[in-house]
Amino acid sequence: MIEFQNVVKRFPDGFQAVKGLDLKVHDGEICVFIGPSGCGKTTSMRMVNRLLSITEGKILVDGRDNRDFPAEELRRKIGYAIQQIGLFPHFTVLDNIAVVPRMLGWDDDRIRKRVDDLLELVGLDPDINREKYPRQLSGGQQQRVGVARALGADPPIMLMDEPFGAIDPITREVLQEEFLQIQKEISKTIIFVTHDIDEAIKMGDRIAILRDGSLEQYDTPDNILAHPKDRFVRDFVGADRALKRLGLIRVHELMDADVIPRVRLRDDVARAREVIKEHGGRSAFVVDDEGVLKGWVDLDGIRQSPNSLVEAMMEADYQEIGVRKNNTAREALSAMVARGFRITPVVDRQGKLVGSITVQALQDLALQGWADEEAEAK
Amino acid sequence: MNRIAMLGGLVAGLGFFFLPLLNLKPNRLASGTSFNLLEFQGDDRYLILFILALVPLVLAFRDEVSSRGWLLIGSGTLLFLLTLILPATAGQMLLLDPEPFLGEGAFIRNPRILPSGGFALGLVGAYITIFAGGRDLQRSEVAPWLRSAVSWFAPLVALVLLVNGRFDVYSIMVEFYANGAALEQKFVEHLMFVFIALAVGFVVGVGLGLWASRDERVAPVILYAVGIIQTIPSLALFGVLLVPLARLGDRSFLPTFGFFAVSAVVAVAIGASYVLLAGRLPSKLRLAHLLLTAVTAAVPLALLVGVLVSFVFRLANVGFTSGAYDDTVGVLTSLVLIALALWGVRRWMLKPETRLRLVAGWTSLGFVGASFVSLIVLFVQASGSSRVLGGVASLQALTIRDLGVSGIGVAPALIALTLYSLLPLVRNTYAGLNNVDNAIIDSGRGMGMTPTQRFFQIELPLAFPVIMAGVRNAGVALVGIGTVATVIGAGGLGDFVIQGIVNTSIDQILLGAIPAIGLALVLDAGLRGLEGLMTSPGIRQVQS
Repeated sequence: MIEFQNVVKRFPDGFQAVKGLDLKVHDGEICVFIGPSGCGKTTSMRMVNRLLSITEGKILVDGRDNRDFPAEELRRKIGYAIQQIGLFPHFTVLDNIAVVPRMLGWDDDRIRKRVDDLLELVGLDPDINREKYPRQLSGGQQQRVGVARALGADPPIMLMDEPFGAIDPITREVLQEEFLQIQKEISKTIIFVTHDIDEAIKMGDRIAILRDGSLEQYDTPDNILAHPKDRFVRDFVGADRALKRLGLIRVHELMDADVIPRVRLRDDVARAREVIKEHGGRSAFVVDDEGVLKGWVDLDGIRQSPNSLVEAMMEADYQEIGVRKNNTAREALSAMVARGFRITPVVDRQGKLVGSITVQALQDLALQGWADEEAEAK
Repeated sequence: MNRIAMLGGLVAGLGFFFLPLLNLKPNRLASGTSFNLLEFQGDDRYLILFILALVPLVLAFRDEVSSRGWLLIGSGTLLFLLTLILPATAGQMLLLDPEPFLGEGAFIRNPRILPSGGFALGLVGAYITIFAGGRDLQRSEVAPWLRSAVSWFAPLVALVLLVNGRFDVYSIMVEFYANGAALEQKFVEHLMFVFIALAVGFVVGVGLGLWASRDERVAPVILYAVGIIQTIPSLALFGVLLVPLARLGDRSFLPTFGFFAVSAVVAVAIGASYVLLAGRLPSKLRLAHLLLTAVTAAVPLALLVGVLVSFVFRLANVGFTSGAYDDTVGVLTSLVLIALALWGVRRWMLKPETRLRLVAGWTSLGFVGASFVSLIVLFVQASGSSRVLGGVASLQALTIRDLGVSGIGVAPALIALTLYSLLPLVRNTYAGLNNVDNAIIDSGRGMGMTPTQRFFQIELPLAFPVIMAGVRNAGVALVGIGTVATVIGAGGLGDFVIQGIVNTSIDQILLGAIPAIGLALVLDAGLRGLEGLMTSPGIRQVQS
């Protein structure tokens, strides 16, 4: 646990970068520090491992004042990853990751095993990459090594200062996803600084919004989006915060799985008409014998070709008309808007129909207090 | 199209066509008759040289890079060797029967065959051709060792022929055989100058550079002071040191030391005042203040170097005159230092480099250290018998002259050489250390490295290539400047050059100049090789 107790940072020229920060970061959580330039987010983070001295107040790490330890000892127990990555260009990947373990006196075999494990964890083949030099790696690969290096001696705490900022957007998204997977396995206590609100919402278990050295709001992403404290926060998270909230939920959490208007390819038109009437809508989805989505049929189509279901239906690929159950609700809404659907089928990875979702449901969700119920239930 | 090959062909071809190949002199001093390539009538062999010179001109237009490279190196090597060998044969002919060439009745006692302009341009053109071929091979990704091997083939064969006496007919070789022992001694002297000045300069220069990189306020002072020293022409510096050292020579040691101490204090005071006041002075005044500081700082700096060097000189003197230079001490010390260093590195430091690089690096550091240690040991040995204090009543009456320092001789030369080596060393150390990426140092700090660990594991290895470039610069410059030291009686290869000028004997000039050039080239190549060994592959720049 990391605890800021009324922490103040004043520089020699009088500028006060952090004005009385009070904050607790819980074990195993990613706490995102975010705010406009100059808000003190990086300054605050760097006071945790004493790269900057604390002017007033204190920072407790696992209950102890972080000034109780010699600075180097403290830092060796805290993983540190920065935007420019900062890999030592004259060291191999192995030597880079091994920096802290060597300082702690681990023996060579243990270090070697640890490096291999970490390389696999961050998605790099150890045999190929162990002896490479940073200049032989791409930006994304370098930052993976940077993350591995921060995890080198298995520190309980990590400080990450815009670690994916210098990476291209496509690779960045991949790295973010992978990092969240890694965090599921290793559960570190992390302070993550960023200026990108979308990254903050995606990565953070809790978000601390800072402005001019003070804490504006500190809460889960969903709460901040649903209940921004004041105008600044509201503007900061963006006018599309309702949509952003939709980005936090996966389709499978709110789809209809039981009640789906569905017919099989070998059913006849009469059956199709029946199903459509049952569900009170205007169309039904058509699947094959394995359950894979093959298209849809609506009343207009039936009127035009009353004799054959195959002729009456609109054939379509499940990838074109369906959304995946792991997509976010926001992605589903985007797909529905683009295709002009009000109801859309939900499929799994093989294309099998597993549910359906309506625009109405999404809108209800955005407006109503699903998050409130969630928060109360927790 | 390989333009360099074209250049090589042009140089050689034009040289052969327009300039004489050989010069036959009746004796050492008289100017002789020149013979062009085309004048060796009836002997068509010499046309081969001309044809070979044209080959690269043709090859330059060939598009296939790999075969072009091999052909260029082949023809260049052939041209190089034949240019050396064929005129030698012609020379022998001339010596045996000069009359057809010099006229009847020509009286010749000690004829000399001097290679002339065409000869030199032929060699230069051949070398350029080989170089061009080497570039082509590099582009067609031939293995570096193979490329080096074929590029160096020609000079190596030439060396073998030289040693076997195939070039003895040339006047330079005649001169060489006449002065053999003297040449050896002067070469060693020259080598010692460069080596000692470089070693002392390395310690002082890198130390100053380090200080400058740590403290931004003293940086301009140090850089300016060292820069000002550099602007003094070498001849002038030698002359300038002559007077004070001569006068100090007779004075008792203590007042000299007192003078040094006082001037050092004054310089430090002015320097400190600059550092403290710098922010508050108007800019014109600041510049003047800085210059004043720099000049006054140069004085004790020079004296400090002088004191250091005088001890070293004393030992060098012991080594030269007594002939008792004991290699064993130096070698043993080096071995002990290397073993200690390797053990220490393994035990306490990271292992960012391969074993070979470690050994190369620590060997060279050990060598520098061992030189100092062994020299000090010799000094102690030598002074053990009161050689230093011999005949002097007490420490108070000791003069610098007893330490071997006087206005002329090796001492002022060494002082001046050391001072000249400072600028490249200080500047490169400062630039190298300053240009280490801050993000790298920050991440090192964030991971919990102590300042010492950061310095030895991050800053120094990353600054190393730049610092080594400074050492190379300094070394090559010192070889050249060392040639001028002859005017104050310091010895070295410059002695031959001056004699040659006085006697208008080109052979003697060349006898001094060619070893000096060779020394500079070998020093440069050797230091480059060492640097290559000691630099991590992660930061090695691709060299042409």
